[in-house]
Amino acid sequence: MNPIDVKALSKSYGDVVGIDSLTFSVKPGEVFGFLGPNGAGKTTAIRTLLGLQSPTSGKAHVLGASITDESELLEAKTRIGYLPSDLAFNESVSGKRVLDYHASIKGDSRRAELLEIFTPPIDRPIREYSTGNEQMLGIVQAFMHDPDLVIMDEPTSGLDPLKQERFNQFITNERDRGTTIFFSSHVLSEVRRVCDRVGILRDGALVGLETIESLLNQGGKRVQIQTPDTIESQIEALDGVFSVISFGETVQFTYTGTYNNLISELQQYDIVDINISEPPLEDIFMHYYGSETEPDTETEAAHV
Amino acid sequence: MFETVQYEVQRRQRGTIALTVGIAAVAAFFVALFPSFSSSGIDIDQMLEAWPPALQEAFGIETLATIEGFLAVELYNFVWVIVLGLYFAYSAASVIADDIERDRMDLLLSLPVSRSQLLFEKVGSLLAPIVLINLGVAVAVYASILAIGESIALSRLVMVHLLSVPYLLACAAIGLILSVTVTRADVGKRLALAVIFVLYLLDSIAATVDGLGFIRYLSPTYYYNPTEILVHGTYGIGDAAILLVITIVLLGIARSIFVRRDI
Repeated sequence: MNPIDVKALSKSYGDVVGIDSLTFSVKPGEVFGFLGPNGAGKTTAIRTLLGLQSPTSGKAHVLGASITDESELLEAKTRIGYLPSDLAFNESVSGKRVLDYHASIKGDSRRAELLEIFTPPIDRPIREYSTGNEQMLGIVQAFMHDPDLVIMDEPTSGLDPLKQERFNQFITNERDRGTTIFFSSHVLSEVRRVCDRVGILRDGALVGLETIESLLNQGGKRVQIQTPDTIESQIEALDGVFSVISFGETVQFTYTGTYNNLISELQQYDIVDINISEPPLEDIFMHYYGSETEPDTETEAAHV
Repeated sequence: MFETVQYEVQRRQRGTIALTVGIAAVAAFFVALFPSFSSSGIDIDQMLEAWPPALQEAFGIETLATIEGFLAVELYNFVWVIVLGLYFAYSAASVIADDIERDRMDLLLSLPVSRSQLLFEKVGSLLAPIVLINLGVAVAVYASILAIGESIALSRLVMVHLLSVPYLLACAAIGLILSVTVTRADVGKRLALAVIFVLYLLDSIAATVDGLGFIRYLSPTYYYNPTEILVHGTYGIGDAAILLVITIVLLGIARSIFVRRDI
């Protein structure tokens, strides 16, 4: 039994399509990233999975419970942690009171341990919290009852880089403990660092479902060559060369061909420096999104 | 069970105590005014008879010459029927709608608690302020009546408070219906105030217009009459039962709307 099983799940609001016939599974103990820009349908998918809204068609099971059967889903929810994208608590109560309330319903066997990693000021009223502190409180409540499945919507939003790093490390450790983690993100570098597999969402539909390695392999390598010769057109003519750009003495391109071909071609020139690296995930992402959403993807890249 | 009730009651604790103390102070103040009223030598009741009947009806005025009649008008017909009726309708209108509007509902519904239970616990937590205000003010009224050397039938005082509970619950249930229906919390809260006030006016107006008497049955205010209870010591348990039935029916409707709703 997969922790999350989704079959042809759709949700529309009148004429507006939220998600369109999603089909995917999240395997036990896996970290699954749900990738796409804002408005792609990530939150709609997550909220439908949790039974906050009913699907227009299709079905889905979370920890074996049908999402349209309230009593089955309730039983499953004792073993699910959730961190919503728009997180909010009652302003007047303290963080501790919020955790106490949640604990009284679902338990808090790991609260103390989590509060050592994430450190919201739990004795202060929520109204004094920064966004980062609220987010940390949200993370603590999502994990404190030691759930089997944790669903998070944009979990690192509002966290400073140091806390983000701590969070990524934490997620890796959680995976090693056997927790299944499903989270949405538009921050590509983060997904790459912690996820085993990603689903790529575009306009409510799943356009890609890949392991991180195959995603990277598909993308080939990024090659940068520094040379006084003018080689741009020759390089462009090679098999497996894409997106050639040159600036000054440097030519940069994405290469999916074999190294032997590349090296024999380059022998003819005066090479000052050569650098072959993994391409940034943004480039791969572009493959799924094409150029029509370019401005969007660029703003996403700015987060990295 | 009752985790949400406990949380909500605690969260409102300070507000509930402040409200109880405030109304108790107002009640004591009214009682303290009474001696100067009754000893002024003016026949107030005779003066009141010159008032339009609609006005007398609206304020539940029967007599101001006795402490019972005086309190029925100044405290119960005004503070209980109108102010607290509006207050609890308003509070109930906010219980679900506020959580949805302020993005808190997502997290609450991710907890292993059914929507029905969450709804009933949230609105049920309003019972705490209803009970506390009634208890606190009843004690304050009784003590201050003794302090000015007057007396009041304890059973009437108890009943005027006890029978207000179903009335205030019915007002809360009306607010709850709006809370689960509207998409903007502010709209729901304002509508709740408007509905309670309109129902109050309907009751008052219909009482004095021939042929329109039946309209009174639609208003919860018709089933709770502090003047009758305090001045005459008469009350119908049936009226309280009707208010409870109205409450239960409205809660049932609110539930069926809330469990089906997309959040």
